[in-house]
Amino acid sequence: MHHVTLDTWSRGASALHRRDPRAKVAALIVFLVVLGTAQRDLAWLGAVLFAFLLAGLRWAKLPLRAALARAGVVLPFTAMFAAVSWLAGDPARGAALVMKSYLSALAVLLLVSTTPLPLLLRGLEMTGTPRFLLMVAQFLYRYLFVISEEAQHMRIAAAARGATVGGLTGNGARFRAAAGALAVLFARSYGRAELIHRAMLARGFPGYFRPLIAPRFSRTDTLFAGICGASPIVMRIIIESVA
Amino acid sequence: MDAVAAPAVGYVVRKAQRDFDEVKVPLLGVMGAFVFAAQMINFPVGVGTSGHLVGGALLACTLGPAAAAVVMCAILAIQALVFQDGGILALGANVFNMAIAGVLVGYLPYHLWGRGRGRRAAIFAGGALSLLTSAVLALSELLISGVRMPGPVLGLSLVLFVVSALVEGAITVAVVVALERIQPNVMRAPAPGRSPALAALALAAILLAAGGALFASTAPDGIEQLAIRTGIASHARALIASPLKDYQATWLGSGWPAQAAAGLAGLGLVFGACLLIGRKR
Repeated sequence: MHHVTLDTWSRGASALHRRDPRAKVAALIVFLVVLGTAQRDLAWLGAVLFAFLLAGLRWAKLPLRAALARAGVVLPFTAMFAAVSWLAGDPARGAALVMKSYLSALAVLLLVSTTPLPLLLRGLEMTGTPRFLLMVAQFLYRYLFVISEEAQHMRIAAAARGATVGGLTGNGARFRAAAGALAVLFARSYGRAELIHRAMLARGFPGYFRPLIAPRFSRTDTLFAGICGASPIVMRIIIESVA
Repeated sequence: MDAVAAPAVGYVVRKAQRDFDEVKVPLLGVMGAFVFAAQMINFPVGVGTSGHLVGGALLACTLGPAAAAVVMCAILAIQALVFQDGGILALGANVFNMAIAGVLVGYLPYHLWGRGRGRRAAIFAGGALSLLTSAVLALSELLISGVRMPGPVLGLSLVLFVVSALVEGAITVAVVVALERIQPNVMRAPAPGRSPALAALALAAILLAAGGALFASTAPDGIEQLAIRTGIASHARALIASPLKDYQATWLGSGWPAQAAAGLAGLGLVFGACLLIGRKR
């Protein structure tokens, strides 16, 4: 699946990869706030922030073009609205819309592709996000591919049985067949969850995930969070005072 | 909006934690993966279009509302983080619309009439209401954030919402019926005692939705809503049962002060707000 690339990227070894997840999250939040609340001189701000993120991508030694393309996944949705406001005579709003959504996606991508998800969630947990929610998210991510694959198999099997041939059966029957497939998938997932839980108990699961390495917030991390958090603010202040 | 979402997430997380303890973590996670994967199974709807399950009401009826809300939160977070879908700036709004309001409203009919003869009708109503509430909330948030939309376009999107809501209701019932055939006791019987907090929350969500609809119907003309119409037109296929996808994007794009504030609070939602509640444990 295509998003496995993120997993691969997130296991890189650059200096950015080594930063504590909490420092990166803090920097990301500042970035998003600066971007989200900006109202004036958006073209300049966008260009500067984009350059900032590009520098980050280079620093993390990520494949530039692939990363830029990946962040574009968010665009089809926004581009449509942007095009409409363009046609309706408000090109500035359309451009701002595309710029904000793309830059926010790119910033999130930079975080996620330099931090393995388990480590990221662990970082969030250490900042006080409820562990329950994070553990659910982690299990979700871990079994996402398993269950999706199962759904894929079922879809192929259904197609092989002629489920996609329009004239063969009525819509009602196909609807019920799809519902049946989902029900089977539901029951299987439920059963799988029980098996997983039993296996976890058998291995002595303590009720939380034990991290292999406990992230430590070093002085470099403080420095990093300070610099990367302050830069977007400073950039915006400079741009807005110059213009 | 997000000020409402934050404590709600906290309450729901704690309730789910009490009900389930850490024992059920794998269950919730795997069921979240199920909801993700369920999008791959297409349901034929009408001529040449198809829809898929959104799942809020189905989860609420099988896992209980609090657990379902947690699962939906986790889904939205993973979607925004890993798939760049929905947008991080809209996360707070999405969590409130879909995970909190959508799930609770979806559970309400089942909670009230889920035991008697009107069981199927209740499940249907749950599925439909769940989607409708989320969609109308998204719409009213757009309006509150300063987007103006022309009456006919607004009407059209409301009609589309109703259609997709009915589809979601039908899918939910069909899946539940099929599920009971293969696994008779998977459905969670509604608790006999009526939880006043739950009812109050659900009622509040419905009132909000109704207020949103009223507000929407009196909104003045504008251009923005055209965006929604074209969005719907070109996405009709994928969208029938998931108008929210587009709303996430719209919401994200509505770059007004109110939106900025909401986006901010949305980020704070996953962290800051839950932080307080997380500390208590």
